[in-house]
Amino acid sequence: MTVTTESRSVTAGSVDRVGRVVYGFLRSLPTWILWLLVFVWSVPSGSLFLNSFRPRDAQRAHGWWASIGKDGWTFDNYLDVLESGRQTGGLAIATVNSFAIAIPATVIPIAIAAMAAYAFACIPFKGREWLFILTVSLLALPNQVALLPLLQLFAGGAHWTVPGTGTVVTLFPDLSLAGSATAVWLTHTSFALPFAIFLLHNYISALPRELFEAARIDGADHFTIFWRLVVPLSVPALAAFTIFQFLWTWNDYLVALTMLGANGSAYPATIKIASMSGEFGRLEHLLSAGAFVQAGVPLVVFFALQRFFVRGLLAGSVKS
Amino acid sequence: MEALTGALGGILAAIGLSTLLFVGANRLFDLIVDRWRLYMGVLGLLTGGSFFAILAGNRVLDGSSLRWVGIGALLFAGMAVLPDLVSDRRLRFVVGVLAGLSVGSVVARVVDASVRPTASPKDLVLAVGIAVAAYLAVALLRGQLRPGSLLVVVAFAWVVGTWLLGEVGGGSATAMAVAVLVPFTLVGAALGSGEQRSRVRRYDLQRRTRVGAFLGPAMFFVAMGLVIPLVRTIYLSLHGSKGKIWVGLKNYGEILTNKKSLDLEDWTDIFGSRLTHLGVALLIFGLVAGLLIGRRRGRLLEPTTSSIGPVSVGTLLLMFAVFASLRGTVINNLWWVIVVTLLSTVLGLAAAILADQARFESLAKSLIFMPMAISFVGAGIIWRFMYIARPPQKPQTGLFNAIWVGLGTMAPSGAGQVTVVAILSGVTALLVGLGIFGIRRRQPGITIGSAFVALPILWLLYRFLGPGLGGVETGPLGDSIGKPILFVQEAPFNNVWLMVVLIWIQTGFAMVILSAAIKAVPVDLIEAARVDGATSGQVFFHVTLPTIVPTISVIVTTLIVLVMKVFDIVRVMTNGNFGTQVIANEMWQRTFTEFNLGLGSALAVVLFIAVVPVMGLNIRRMQRAGV
Repeated sequence: MTVTTESRSVTAGSVDRVGRVVYGFLRSLPTWILWLLVFVWSVPSGSLFLNSFRPRDAQRAHGWWASIGKDGWTFDNYLDVLESGRQTGGLAIATVNSFAIAIPATVIPIAIAAMAAYAFACIPFKGREWLFILTVSLLALPNQVALLPLLQLFAGGAHWTVPGTGTVVTLFPDLSLAGSATAVWLTHTSFALPFAIFLLHNYISALPRELFEAARIDGADHFTIFWRLVVPLSVPALAAFTIFQFLWTWNDYLVALTMLGANGSAYPATIKIASMSGEFGRLEHLLSAGAFVQAGVPLVVFFALQRFFVRGLLAGSVKS
Repeated sequence: MEALTGALGGILAAIGLSTLLFVGANRLFDLIVDRWRLYMGVLGLLTGGSFFAILAGNRVLDGSSLRWVGIGALLFAGMAVLPDLVSDRRLRFVVGVLAGLSVGSVVARVVDASVRPTASPKDLVLAVGIAVAAYLAVALLRGQLRPGSLLVVVAFAWVVGTWLLGEVGGGSATAMAVAVLVPFTLVGAALGSGEQRSRVRRYDLQRRTRVGAFLGPAMFFVAMGLVIPLVRTIYLSLHGSKGKIWVGLKNYGEILTNKKSLDLEDWTDIFGSRLTHLGVALLIFGLVAGLLIGRRRGRLLEPTTSSIGPVSVGTLLLMFAVFASLRGTVINNLWWVIVVTLLSTVLGLAAAILADQARFESLAKSLIFMPMAISFVGAGIIWRFMYIARPPQKPQTGLFNAIWVGLGTMAPSGAGQVTVVAILSGVTALLVGLGIFGIRRRQPGITIGSAFVALPILWLLYRFLGPGLGGVETGPLGDSIGKPILFVQEAPFNNVWLMVVLIWIQTGFAMVILSAAIKAVPVDLIEAARVDGATSGQVFFHVTLPTIVPTISVIVTTLIVLVMKVFDIVRVMTNGNFGTQVIANEMWQRTFTEFNLGLGSALAVVLFIAVVPVMGLNIRRMQRAGV
């Protein structure tokens, strides 16, 4: 009798112990799961990075994991992908093109949006609220909606035939911009404004109002306040948007593809690597190097200025 | 390099010019309040100078253009300043009219005879009528009618009616005089009408011009780049493929009736699918768990990991069953929106919670966040390498297929298989122990949770010992040959493999924002709950989660908008082949490769309509925040 109860309590005790151990392990599991997640998230880009240094034949023979310490590493893929020619990628020119699009597409909207955000935040006028809401609500507008009319505008201007008379009135001149980087960054400027105005307005309207009041009493006009007070104080928000917009325009594919059409000499890096991947096979061994050349600039920007980038995202989505 | 320097030089020039314009405009508006006459004079100089410069540039004036610019500037400046020197109301009006008349007659005389217009009275009446009606409508809405503004509007309409609608050249001297004198006199009369501007009105004007200077450029770009194109796209969507013939809603009808965009024929497959059965089973499992745990806590249903987990996985599986049976572009888009939004948010939330206060938190977070910096095109390429499938005879170079085929061709009772089976059995044993522990502790949540985790592991074990796991088939000689998965080609689940790419990118976005929101949850709230004896699960479901719901809703709406227009990934990885077409890619192909402008625009409008509810939600959110 006593024996049986004893043995039962012994088994019960050991089950308890096992349970407690497992439970304790489970409690420390979050850390393990986190690092597993981090590992899984890094594998795709990490493996492609390793792949980009492998010789062509090794890439075709086996996966990168079988390559470590076996075939040696090479920079040839990077050299080949930058050079232009039939068997190479021509990414050096494409990278220059990317800069020619991304720099104006970042600088110009930020200037325009800062002014507009200041007007919305600090100058009272009739219809301010609904105009602001209207502008910012366009932030959800899919770009696809505007692509075709904009391309038509850049390619041939806008004309209107007056009904009845047959006269054609030119509403917007034909600037022959289609196929040029200008068309791309003009489009980016329009598309960026709603978000930029929203983000900067959030920031500017949270600045201490008394400062502006004091400046106004001292006789400063809106222009002086904007230039001397608001712009210097908004540097964090301006930096956040700059990074955001630069990454966005650098990584853009849709707008450039639409506006540049067949003008291959103006293609940015995204279109170049996309077309390289389209002809999978001939240039396959260069593709991973190409992807990293294209991603290089944004990755550097990202890791160097991550704090500003995060701040921009937060300002855009969490109302402080 | 030349392209870059050329482009950057042009851009710098443009920026310099715009800055000059902006600063100059602001300096000019500074004069309005205290130095009104100077302001009007400068405005007149600028307008007159540019007006005559345009005339001279079009070679309708004889002689040096520089001289004409100077003369024009002075004439206009005089016209702008003179009426303001007189304080008597009637005399002001007379001075204004006379100034307008004299400037107008100078212009009519000096302009070349070759550009005399022949205007038809019909056009004039049309233009003036429309302009007056439009002005009256606006004035009625604003409840304020200014005779001066009406005069300017009529003058503008007169110019449009004669010079734009009529024909330039071949007219008589009288026609020229009428065409020029009338608008100038009207403008002069407008300048001379009413009282001298009071200080209050000048302040008002200064504020309005300032709003114009600050807001003008942005509104120009928004109107030219977003609003007008949107209207035009809607217009085009109601027209044929060339954008000329009105077809009504035919394009939309084609989207809805086309088998490629919406195919509901196989909807009965939903009920036969194994995914459905598994999903329903998990739903029941989760509900029972919620009921059981809830009964102990005096609630009907308790949200805990053990009930929410199975319910959400079950729902997800049911959704997969539905979307895998119904096919088409529209269905694919919905599938994308739901799966990517849901999984990115959930994974982002999980990562945010797991990383919160962990060691090396920022390192972990930036590694998960990193894909945000990579373009969709680059991400598509990265994942294409993960998904590579090569013929069975060759070694697999894609990681996924290497693992899959490796598991499949693992020799039975070989060292690899023994190890895997041993590990899986060990984990199962531990989970059984945990389940019993839960029963003894009277915490059914632990038991149910471990059962939920044990089920897939048992299934893996069964596959391993029985039919085999991984890609393998028996060759003609009875040997086992690897059978890779064609991740990108095998419909309908290739869609999911494409979605993985976007989830990989967007999880970091959700994580960063949710992480900030979690850190903003008041610490004393959590402490209070802990003191009251809440488990960490309860703290999460009853304190943290309700606090961050607004943030989650922002993320969900942002993601919906983003995923709705997914384009780059699909275009780079499949270009819409193998049943992976989505609306944005279809729109691009229809518009820019087939030049079917009507159908392409209709597809774009469908995307727009899909985000209208989100826009409405955003507007309400902003109104509540009180702009």
